[in-house]
Amino acid sequence: MRIRTYVSLFCLFLASRLFAAELTVHAAASLTDAMKEIQAAYEKGNDTKLRFNFGASSLLERQIEEGAPADLFLSADEAKMDALEKKGLLLPGTRRSLLSNLLVIIVATDASAAPKSAADLTKAEFKKIALAEPQTVPAGIYAREYLGKLGLWDAVKEKAVPTENVRAALAAVESGNVDAGIVYKTDALISKKVKIAVEIPAAEGPKISYPLAVIKSSKQPERAKKFADYLASPAAQAVFEKFGFTLAK
Amino acid sequence: MSLRLHGVRLPQTGFTLEIEARIDQPVAGIFGPSGAGKTSLLELIAGLRRPIAGAARLDDTALFDAGASLHVPPRLRRIGYVPQDLALFPHLTVRGNLVYGYRPPTSDGERFTLDHVAAVMEIAHLLERKVTTLSGGEQQRTAFARAILSMPRLLLLDEPMSSLDSRLKQRLIPFLLRIRDEFHIPLIYVTHDAHELAALCDEVLVLENGRLTQRGPPNEVLRDYS
Amino acid sequence: MTAEAWQIVLFTIDVSALSTLLILPFGIAIAWLIARRDWPGKTAVETLVMLPLFVPPVATGLVLLMLFSRHGPFGSLLRQGLGIEVVFTWRAVVLACAVMSFPLLVRSAQTAFQEVNVRLEDIARTLGASEWRIFRTVSLPLALPGISAGAVLAFARALGEFGATAVVAGMIPRQTMTISLSIYQNVELGHDSAAWPLLFVSIGIVFVTVLCGQMISKGQRAR
Repeated sequence: MRIRTYVSLFCLFLASRLFAAELTVHAAASLTDAMKEIQAAYEKGNDTKLRFNFGASSLLERQIEEGAPADLFLSADEAKMDALEKKGLLLPGTRRSLLSNLLVIIVATDASAAPKSAADLTKAEFKKIALAEPQTVPAGIYAREYLGKLGLWDAVKEKAVPTENVRAALAAVESGNVDAGIVYKTDALISKKVKIAVEIPAAEGPKISYPLAVIKSSKQPERAKKFADYLASPAAQAVFEKFGFTLAK
Repeated sequence: MSLRLHGVRLPQTGFTLEIEARIDQPVAGIFGPSGAGKTSLLELIAGLRRPIAGAARLDDTALFDAGASLHVPPRLRRIGYVPQDLALFPHLTVRGNLVYGYRPPTSDGERFTLDHVAAVMEIAHLLERKVTTLSGGEQQRTAFARAILSMPRLLLLDEPMSSLDSRLKQRLIPFLLRIRDEFHIPLIYVTHDAHELAALCDEVLVLENGRLTQRGPPNEVLRDYS
Repeated sequence: MTAEAWQIVLFTIDVSALSTLLILPFGIAIAWLIARRDWPGKTAVETLVMLPLFVPPVATGLVLLMLFSRHGPFGSLLRQGLGIEVVFTWRAVVLACAVMSFPLLVRSAQTAFQEVNVRLEDIARTLGASEWRIFRTVSLPLALPGISAGAVLAFARALGEFGATAVVAGMIPRQTMTISLSIYQNVELGHDSAAWPLLFVSIGIVFVTVLCGQMISKGQRAR
């Protein structure tokens, strides 16, 4: 008698694990730490499990296009969201701009040389500069556009070490294998092994925007919308600001 | 020539080679059935194997002394060796094989030229051929010539004619006699064929189960085996 | 095929050829030592040499990264002593290719040496040859077909090297971009069609390489 009770309880437990509502969120790599903190808070107050897939927005966009199951997409630039919208993959009415960020030039904390401006990157002492892949990854695109505007891109291009996403660029600077890197301010702030050498002011720099949308093929659109609303709520925004993001206008 | 083996021991499968002997004759034969240890004995003398005990001297130089941990490497012993499978270098021509061990003249004076030895062994017309294209008898004579040209103090022959038919054997015996007569190189000739020994050797030693059981002139020793 | 694609193809061939040339002397030496000699630590070295064959390539890349990064034991030595940088340069590509293809060369060369009749080496000793001369004039010539086959294998492996290279050299256009890395990047970007010319060229190169290898082996065996 007792055994049957335990078995049924166990089955119920398993079932609840299997059928616990789970949301798959594809989010840009730069959001990793902030989202993890938000996840802890959200899961406590809601019976929803959050599963994150962090990576370069270009890679995530590609995966969604190929049919990877996703409920929400948080991209680091509008272009990736535009591409999905054009293909009709977004749930209408759910797209909104959530956050903004700043670009910074970083060096390792024990680096012997640090640039004082973007133009310094062309100097000989900076032989290798890490940045996210400049053709596809938002952080790399922003960096390329900004340097291009200043007429510095051709010189810096020769020294560029393109990485798969912005966190890989951060890691490259941390490891000491490159002389400098261009990442988001929010990335620089979470690492103790790098320091910000140059901060590119919002007025001069590229317009960085993190849009958010629910994916049309989501099996739980209501839950997804609920989480999307939470991300725009003061509670979540406070976490984002803590990590250095600015709010979208 | 004087080869002395003293207290030499080498384990084989099933028995131990134990040799105590002194060989002085220009052509000495070692007779025994297969598996008696004949090849191992020759390899010991040549330096390709190490005994676990014993010592050997050739004339006034030591070859090995297990007790004193002395083992002169083969390349310094100047002992020629023609193994049963001849071991000709397949990637070289006849000439390439012949000159491989050719040494500059020593203080002994005698020096054989390649042409002279090739003529005596009747392979002069084959010098540019690849050894793999030669007949059995031609390969045999090439192996002899190669060993001779290395100016050995002693030449060891391991069943040199075992793979030849009797007609070829008859044709080769004179060449071996020429090695003795023209080049004055002492020979130790190992075989299980009594007839070859009778034709060539001054003295025969019988090797049975790792020990030398008899020695004497061929016709005496081999009486029981022909 | 664009000019950029040709640059990638030529670069890949260059680094593969260079890495194969670099590992030849070491590979032949180690193969001979394994085939013909016993020595303390031999089994450990044999295992170490074969490791890149079985360990995931990216794991090997990680080990190389740790050893040759600016702060790593070899990397810092090279940087301070000779001013040479390895990680994220073409040298890292050569390094990755060399390490990954080394076991293939050693395996083939080792078998080739083992197949050389020991009796021939013994006879050479009785003919007065030193060990070095025996190696040069008997062991090496007879093992050459097998060694050549091993070199061809190593070259082909280097041409297709991806995992370790991606980790230790990165995908830097014109500096570390090989055919494999470029195909991967194009696929990632969604430019599949840009990858096809490279794909066909790389198949073509490997085909020609293996064909040449077969001909060299046959030619040598006939001699």
